[in-house]
Amino acid sequence: MKQYILRRLSLIILTLFGLLTIIFMISRVAPGDPARLAAGPDATEEMVEVLKKEFGLDKPLIVQYIDYLKGLFTGNLGRSIRTRHLVLNDLIRFFPATFELTVFSLLLAVVLGIPLGVLCAVYRDRSLDHAARVFSVSGLALPMFWLALMLQLFLALKLDFLPVGGRLGMLTEPPRAITHLYLIDSLITGNLFAFKDALRHIILPAFVLSFPALASIIRVNRAEMLEVLSRDFVVNARAHGISRFRIIGQYALKNALIPTTTMIGLRYGWMLGGTILVETVFDWPGTGLYAVQSAVYSDFQPIMGVTLLVGLNFMVANLIVDLIYGVLDPRVRYE
Amino acid sequence: MKSTLWKVMVVTVIGVVLVFAGATQALEIREGKKILVFGGRQPAPNIDPSQYYDWSTRMLEQSLYDALLKYVESPPRIIPWLATKWEASPDAKVWTFHLVKNAKFHNGDPVTAEAVKFSFERTLSIKKGPAWMLLDVLDPSGIKVIDDFTIQFTLSKPYAPFEAVLPWWYIMNPKVVMAHEKDGDQGQEWMKDGDAGSGPFMKKRWEHGVLYEMEAVADYWRGWENPNHVDGIIFKLIRESSSQRIAIQKGQCDIVEGLSPEDYEVVAKYPGVYVTNDPGLTTFGVKMNNQKGYTKDVNLRKALCYAFDYPSLIEIYNGNAILEDSPFPIGLKGHVPTDMYRQDLTKAKEFMKKAGYPDGGFELEYVYVQGLEEERKIGLVLIDNLSKLGIKVKMVPLAWPNMVARGSKVDTSPDMMAVFTTPVFNDPDVVAYQYHKSSWGKYYGSAHYNNSRVWELTDKARTISDWEARTKIYEEIQHIILEDAPEIFGMQYNRRWAFRDHVKGFVFCPVRFTGEVDLYPLYIEK
Repeated sequence: MKQYILRRLSLIILTLFGLLTIIFMISRVAPGDPARLAAGPDATEEMVEVLKKEFGLDKPLIVQYIDYLKGLFTGNLGRSIRTRHLVLNDLIRFFPATFELTVFSLLLAVVLGIPLGVLCAVYRDRSLDHAARVFSVSGLALPMFWLALMLQLFLALKLDFLPVGGRLGMLTEPPRAITHLYLIDSLITGNLFAFKDALRHIILPAFVLSFPALASIIRVNRAEMLEVLSRDFVVNARAHGISRFRIIGQYALKNALIPTTTMIGLRYGWMLGGTILVETVFDWPGTGLYAVQSAVYSDFQPIMGVTLLVGLNFMVANLIVDLIYGVLDPRVRYE
Repeated sequence: MKSTLWKVMVVTVIGVVLVFAGATQALEIREGKKILVFGGRQPAPNIDPSQYYDWSTRMLEQSLYDALLKYVESPPRIIPWLATKWEASPDAKVWTFHLVKNAKFHNGDPVTAEAVKFSFERTLSIKKGPAWMLLDVLDPSGIKVIDDFTIQFTLSKPYAPFEAVLPWWYIMNPKVVMAHEKDGDQGQEWMKDGDAGSGPFMKKRWEHGVLYEMEAVADYWRGWENPNHVDGIIFKLIRESSSQRIAIQKGQCDIVEGLSPEDYEVVAKYPGVYVTNDPGLTTFGVKMNNQKGYTKDVNLRKALCYAFDYPSLIEIYNGNAILEDSPFPIGLKGHVPTDMYRQDLTKAKEFMKKAGYPDGGFELEYVYVQGLEEERKIGLVLIDNLSKLGIKVKMVPLAWPNMVARGSKVDTSPDMMAVFTTPVFNDPDVVAYQYHKSSWGKYYGSAHYNNSRVWELTDKARTISDWEARTKIYEEIQHIILEDAPEIFGMQYNRRWAFRDHVKGFVFCPVRFTGEVDLYPLYIEK
């Protein structure tokens, strides 16, 4: 097991290195002069050269690449040419918001999706199953930004029920930073006002972000449950008089969860990518929004920082999912 | 089991309603203080006046810092601010400014001529942000402190627009800046988020990517014109037009900018909201490549100018725009009306013949900013209009950096490129220079306009202090440019903001950038 984890971790490093190289090359061959854009539309050539020198853009490409790699080993992800902020500081500032939103969305999808999937399988072709099918198809078909705008219009404008966007109300002071996750920090510090405010703000973006994942989890879990419930061991369990609840909850669900777990792992990575749209619509101050704004100005270093971070998250999530297989299915061995 | 499930669902819904009901608030009141909320799309990641400016940044810089002079009203007028009076030598080379004696920085230090000298030297030596405005004409050695409250600038060459750029050069407290200097950076690292100003507001809460909060300086050296002035400002980032619309409608913001033309129409009818509508100086034009391809031929460019349906531009902006009547925007100092191109298909066809393409039969590329709906619609108008000359139009949406890159070189600059341009200061020099060779490579120079007479006149006009003499030169420049038809001269769209009706005191000034509001005169009337 230890060897397996070590091997996977070394693979993660190699993959990240490859990802980094590709992104570095793409960003450097992309049209557009970041120094010219950052210097401003009226800047003189001399001013553009000052910026190029300051950010090392006047050096040969290979030297820039080596400098970037050297920086990585010392925890320096570079500096934004537009804002002059350190990328590492920006990621530390913005990633907790994205992480909180993604994890909350994923939890929402799992907590709602798995029981609904089970219920749909148990009550197959009944009204709940039909309703869940419509819901699932909608979840996969509706464009995320459209759903976000409609929910904003309905719940924020018409019903005045939830805020339009942001992570906290304008006059709400963020809770004392411990994990930088507002929901957790406000609970730890006993700041219930901030907790309620943070919860109100996360509901809409989390629902929108989780909607496609929720739909997928319901469908996959339903299909797997139907398949498992028809197996011989379930019939055998019934014949032994084991309660229906125990058969479904303990035996069938555990077997059905393996493909669902894969789905959840993949969805985590997908959600991190999906935050770009959701964060823009809901003004959620996370890395998605940060990446978009950087891309608009061809600001390479932040884009590379976000790519590395998302890549790392995606790979770690997949590793965790692979490890969970072993817990769910004792037949799985790591060698 | 079924009935239990329904019970759980009903209880959950009721619980959620109880927890989340009651959400919005109007003007924010904290401890009896009036906090005005401005909803804006663009962040302000670096508020060092020597390093960076764009509309959102400058709106905050203008609140935190003072300059020697200030722009107000429409048409733009320069008024004394930190300087009480000033004089220029007849050759526009030596400029002397006398400072107010009661101005003080936020830490209580007086604003002196030394601080002015330091601020100008800092910006010139850092060579970022607004430095381009004076780098060519002002050397740090030309800045001289006469006494504590008098400063003199001796320019390396005469530069008549000097006073016009000064409202954008903010004065910083040298002690505060240099106290944060690190590795000889002149405090650049700290000043990104620092406050070393003397302006009407002080920095309070800075949450990058979320909001910027400032509080009013109670004993601001210039005083407050209205006793109901705001006590604080929250600049809240709201990127989506639809979210801004909801925020102003629900009273979650007191001012928003950047709504779509349609959204402005909607919120204008909403109770408790008013929308301003003032003619701006920002021009829209379709720049044509003057040195390569079909559009190299002036006759072809004129044919396109005569083929274009100009009123459609006004329709795209729901009537909230005016057509340009000169290469220089209406309202800019030195503008003169000219006999501008208007749609005339007979003339258009005549010029097509002169160009050697009586029946067209070729395709032109129209490049515009990806996602900018107004520019896309203008492209559709071009497709329709130019089809009457037998010309096909290929619409190419590009991200802004890619567009700037393409327009920077003659060989890659598209046949037609949609460009909005805002004059940075109120002097005809700033627009004339867009047609100067020095502007090739910049987005507004994508036409690569090539007329040495215009360049000579532009260089000459900036060195003359006599306004009458300058006016004549700029008049000639406008007529020459018109005759050369380097672009399809379009329109100036109105600047609009939506306000909650308790917000008063807004003073429009078109030389400010899109979205930028002078926050100082605002007050609350309830």
